[in-house]
Amino acid sequence: MLPETYKSELKDRLQKVGNPREMVVDVMLEVQEFYGWFSDEALEQAAVLLGMSSLEIEELATFYNTIYRQPVGKFVIHVCDSVICWMENGYGELIDHIGKKLGIGMGETTPDGLFSLLPACCIGYCDHAPAIMINKTVYGDIAPAKMDEIIETLRQEK
Amino acid sequence: MPKLIIDNREIEVPEGIKVIEAADRAGIYIPRFCYYAELGAVGACRICAVKFVDGPVKGIEMSCMINAQDGMVVSTTDPEARDFRRHVIEWLMMNHPHDCPVCDEGGHCLLQDLTESCDHGIRRYKGKKRTYVDQYLGPLIQHEENRCIQCYRCSRYYQEFAGYKDLGVMGIAQRIYFGRYAAGVLESPFSGNIIDLCPTGVYTDKPSRYTGRRWDYERVPGICINCSLGCHITVSARYREIVYLEGRYSGKVNGSFICDRGRYGFFYANLEERPRQGRVRGEDVPSGRAITMAAQRVKEVSESHGAAAIAVIGSGRSSLETIAALTHVCKVQGWRGPVLFDSRVSSESVRTAVSCIAQELAVSMKEIESADFILTVGADPINEAPMLAMAMRQAWRKGAGVAAIDCRSLDWPFQFEQVTAAPDDMADFLAALENSETTVISDRFVAQIKSIAAKIRACHRPVVVCGTEITDSKIIYGAAGFVKAMRQAGQEAGLFYTLPAANSYGAALLDEIGETAEDLIERIESGEIKALVIVESDLWDTFSDRQRLIQALEQLELLVVADFMATEILHRADIIIPTLSIFEAGGIYVNQEGRAQWSPPAYAGGTPIKITGQGGHPPRIIRPDIPAGDISPAWRMAWWLADRQPPASHDLLLDWMGKTFPVLEKAANFTSEGIRLYLPEARRKTARETGGRKIQSLGEYLLLPVAAVFGDEPMAQRSPCLEGYAKHPEMWMAASDARLFDASDGDAARLQLPYGPLELTLRLSERIAPGTLIVYRCPDLFWQQFARSSRFIVPKDRIRIEKKA
Amino acid sequence: MYPQVLLKNRKKDRILSLEEYREMGGYKALHDALTDESFHPRQIQELLLDAGLLGRGGAAFPTGIKMKTVPDDAPHPRYLVCNADEMEPGTFKDRVLILTSPHQLIEGMILAAYAIDAEIAIIFIRREYETAARALEQEIGRAREAGYIGKNLFDSEFDCDIIVHRSAGRYICGEGTALLNALEGKRANPRKPPPYPTVKGLWQLPTEVQNVETLCCIPHVLKNGVDWFKTLAVSKTGAGTKVFSVSGKVNRPGCYELPMGVKLSEIIEDYAGGMLPGSRFKACMPGGASTQFLPESMYHARMDFDDLKNAGFRLGTGAVMVFDHKTCLVEATANLMVFFARESCGWCTPCREGLPYILDLLNRIEAGEGEVEFIPMIRQMCSHMNYSYCAFAPGAAAPVESLLTYFEGEVMAHIENRGCPFKIGKVN
Ligand SMILES: Cc1cc2nc3c(=O)[nH]c(=O)nc-3n(C[C@H](O)[C@H](O)[C@H](O)COP(=O)(O)O)c2cc1C
Ligand code: SF4
Ligand code: FES
Repeated sequence: MLPETYKSELKDRLQKVGNPREMVVDVMLEVQEFYGWFSDEALEQAAVLLGMSSLEIEELATFYNTIYRQPVGKFVIHVCDSVICWMENGYGELIDHIGKKLGIGMGETTPDGLFSLLPACCIGYCDHAPAIMINKTVYGDIAPAKMDEIIETLRQEK
Repeated sequence: MPKLIIDNREIEVPEGIKVIEAADRAGIYIPRFCYYAELGAVGACRICAVKFVDGPVKGIEMSCMINAQDGMVVSTTDPEARDFRRHVIEWLMMNHPHDCPVCDEGGHCLLQDLTESCDHGIRRYKGKKRTYVDQYLGPLIQHEENRCIQCYRCSRYYQEFAGYKDLGVMGIAQRIYFGRYAAGVLESPFSGNIIDLCPTGVYTDKPSRYTGRRWDYERVPGICINCSLGCHITVSARYREIVYLEGRYSGKVNGSFICDRGRYGFFYANLEERPRQGRVRGEDVPSGRAITMAAQRVKEVSESHGAAAIAVIGSGRSSLETIAALTHVCKVQGWRGPVLFDSRVSSESVRTAVSCIAQELAVSMKEIESADFILTVGADPINEAPMLAMAMRQAWRKGAGVAAIDCRSLDWPFQFEQVTAAPDDMADFLAALENSETTVISDRFVAQIKSIAAKIRACHRPVVVCGTEITDSKIIYGAAGFVKAMRQAGQEAGLFYTLPAANSYGAALLDEIGETAEDLIERIESGEIKALVIVESDLWDTFSDRQRLIQALEQLELLVVADFMATEILHRADIIIPTLSIFEAGGIYVNQEGRAQWSPPAYAGGTPIKITGQGGHPPRIIRPDIPAGDISPAWRMAWWLADRQPPASHDLLLDWMGKTFPVLEKAANFTSEGIRLYLPEARRKTARETGGRKIQSLGEYLLLPVAAVFGDEPMAQRSPCLEGYAKHPEMWMAASDARLFDASDGDAARLQLPYGPLELTLRLSERIAPGTLIVYRCPDLFWQQFARSSRFIVPKDRIRIEKKA
Repeated sequence: MYPQVLLKNRKKDRILSLEEYREMGGYKALHDALTDESFHPRQIQELLLDAGLLGRGGAAFPTGIKMKTVPDDAPHPRYLVCNADEMEPGTFKDRVLILTSPHQLIEGMILAAYAIDAEIAIIFIRREYETAARALEQEIGRAREAGYIGKNLFDSEFDCDIIVHRSAGRYICGEGTALLNALEGKRANPRKPPPYPTVKGLWQLPTEVQNVETLCCIPHVLKNGVDWFKTLAVSKTGAGTKVFSVSGKVNRPGCYELPMGVKLSEIIEDYAGGMLPGSRFKACMPGGASTQFLPESMYHARMDFDDLKNAGFRLGTGAVMVFDHKTCLVEATANLMVFFARESCGWCTPCREGLPYILDLLNRIEAGEGEVEFIPMIRQMCSHMNYSYCAFAPGAAAPVESLLTYFEGEVMAHIENRGCPFKIGKVN
């Protein structure tokens, strides 16, 4: 359940906007942050808060890229697969390497629930290709060794 | 008026219409998927591409997105446009499962037609098809999402047009999915229209799955009789049963759509338990024989007790032909009746409404859509006349304001303002709105009433919608007065009543006396009446005092019941005569607006092959006649009961009706839009106080049974597929009253009534009028006991509340 | 070195502070515009029009003209939306612009809002740019404290506030009308004008949508004048500078602010450090994934909207993506189509179904299952993309069409060899 403080704070914010729908993307992202993913429970709570039907929320949740309607790990690794990153020398090997390192394929989550691997379209760091985004942080100029380091650091951090 | 040329044909069309519609008017069909006249154009599917050869627009454009303009030269056959359309179809077919042989849409599938006509014959795409998991959407609609071509008609209709929020579009790109958040019964009582709208077989009619192809059916344009609106439908019959109903376009009544009660309310006509043979004192006889026997017995009673000892009961669910025949027969034979109204209140209300409505005041349902303000008084469209709610929603979408004076907690699919008024106070509120006389109403409402009055005064085309179920004749009369006053003030005001049954209006046209079943029961009790003929009516279901009814029936020497449904009263009859349903006999029904509409028979009648063949297919019993094919329509039977000869054909019957009843003078000249019938000046009524005693003290509650869209209409109630749709027994109470009982929403309420205890779930709302207890009529409840033969008042000490666990 | 305007005083790894921005003349244009009694907000529109400022978000529509379509008597509130969605593959200039000088954007937005009398300004930013979004929020706060945002700015009648809206991520959200639906909390399908957003946009009220770079130009035009702005360009019809995001097979990928009309060869050789060792120039997309491949013959082309347009290409966002001779363009195009097919909003048929179809054909060609008749099929389908609902699908078709026009030989080689020449070692 969402904390009451969040709910009442949100109600205040909703009062201020003309139409609660204005806030729907913010609410989806915030509620997702709380639950780790946009579970059915998260969705239904968002619907109640916004005065919309679950279907209306689902229509939006399934439209966007970064609303996760399936469970994801604590760290979601978005690997850019658009043309510049793809074109980098050693891109294929890098992808294989990440998969092997984590022991999962694209779209999967490690059994310890720590990492998920998702393909992403160009994240706007083509000058640092290949680039990845983990949660809200972007990492550029990724090579296998650097990737290992990042993963290890995150493992420590958990 | 722009003039344009489409495929070398010059046409002139009204300003502001799209090229695709202009082409329709010229008889040129441009392919379309997303475009649907009533939903408007959104330009999503791109199949309506045409070439603009000359004029203000040039090149390939979507004909649904471009307004028809002067000087346009449009080609629908241009090779470039055709090539593009061929590709659009090819793209749409990439993922289509090609399961036409097992798809119920096959044969009337727009996708099939346009794939053919847009010239896509050979599959070139070699990739995989994407597939989906289907959802359970309830017992009425089958979902097969793989067939979807993403035209967005369903989601647009469901959310924008109809105003419900549980079906829509999810996902993105090639993975979009039309359905619900989770599998489950669709919430809208207008859900079935997505079946008609879907251009392929994503949504198909579930009860009729696998019963045949479009061309197998006998199809006729019919009229729905599940409420007083008379929406237009297309009826499909096969193997002597009705298979399914669809909405049929009417520019005056319903537009293209119908409600689910109308769509699925026909199963009574197919049921095995329907009377299909005559029955005389427990023995089956041919139907003709039952009529002769009945005529014989009636004659005997007449001879021993006089003609006035015979009484006839009819109802608003019979055709105008039947009502006319009964009226005539009673008159010439000297029998009592026909009694066409269940209760005194209803008789008074309906007859007042019909006498108030006049050509210049009446608006059609379609005209409601262009109202700029709608005021309802004691009317709950969604439950009493569902499609009216859709029409009101369309007005609201165009900016009309809606205000309701009512004692219920109204729940409509659009925004409106409710003035919560007890039934006893509604007339005062109406008067206050009309003449700003606010001294009669409680101070709390003055500001609200003033603001609504100002809004009504400021608009051009206001409509007053007035119910006849919880209102008395004073309110009904007042509504007409208000409309007249507004018209005098220069507003184009309109009047719209809702009535209890499909032919209540027809009944009121012919019934000058307005006698009710209550009156008859009294005469039976006093021994005046010895024989009762009940035609297409169910006293058991309509009379509030069952004990009294049973005793009265026992006093009779003869009870004849004629019906096309297996009603309760049938079991008490000495003689049962089966009659034909509207689908077999056809019939004229006069809707609440005074529009008399003819619904032709869809098939010849007879026991469905499914029943005679006991499920086997095809049936192996070879016989020269149709089983139960000898049943006659009730109007013929009426003459025979009186030992007279009915008119030889339906045409002659219409002639005869026109000549016999001045109000039906126009009856012989039907048009497809129907004819409008009104009472002559001389028969107009004035307001009368009705309805018995008013609530007098704080400790009293008015117990009011009110309409529910599913579960209380006598015909639709019998559809097995609608069973789960009826409400559970609930009692709604004002939140302020609930405090006196220390009750909360969801508690159990127990009422001690003369017939025994009644258990209901308590529901609370701020919008229930204090002092009123609202109960939605449902089959699980003997609500008839407190139906409005008079006001049913419950003292506080008869109400017990048990806290929910 | 060409004059630097937008990226002037760019700091390594940090943004330009409010004080620094002010020191370099920041907020002067805003101050002057709002305090000069004789200056009418409509004059901003004229100035931008005369300066020849074209939208930098890809469509190159004259900013002044767009502003003029807001009717004088249009209702309020009016909106100014800064489009910082930047999801066009290869494009990252808006990120660099924001992270260089948020106040430059803020000033541009307030001026643009003033020009159309909009009281609410919204920055629509993609989720990947969280750092930029936070920087903006912080600097908006500072600007508010300093009196550049808020009510009665510089004691004028004019109020304006700026809000940052984070998107949950979809390329189509960057399309000006889809963006409005996204802001309204609807599915981000585009809207079809008329009415144009400047007449009926967000919540059916007048809304001006402008790209980050476009807005950043505004203070400079006002401060330095129309002629100055025009002479920044080195092409005949161009005006101003252009921030090029250079990526791909070059030594120094990154953002370079260069005159409008600078030669492609100059960008690659003089700024991006030339091709990677062992790489030869084969093709380049001049303005992101939705523009055509420029073949080698265009190596010295002037990077200007008109020049490229006249040669049958589009400058788009000025995202220069460089491909070398070792990169298979069939596979690269297929990669682009994966992006487009995935990001299509799903509203109209050509885009939703046609792009996956084209992708399938390209994949087959790449996998050695190609047939000669695929080529006319793809061509025809690409040309049909022009009849889709919005500009997404024609943009998606652009690389494919140019692949078939300028690199048909490479495509044919795939078909004839029944496989990708780069994979089966048949490249010279
Ligand atoms: C599919 C598509 C995606 C777009 N994405 C962006 C974007 O991310 N940022 C942007 O500024 N403009 C984008 N545009 C262009 C916008 O529609 C619009 O033209 C622009 O924001 C207007 O600003 P400008 O005139 O300043 O360029 C996109 C257009 C299309 C068709
Ligand atoms: S072209 Fe059509 S499907 Fe594609 S993004 Fe535009 S509207 Fe959506
Ligand atoms: S009917 Fe015109 S685009 Fe669908």
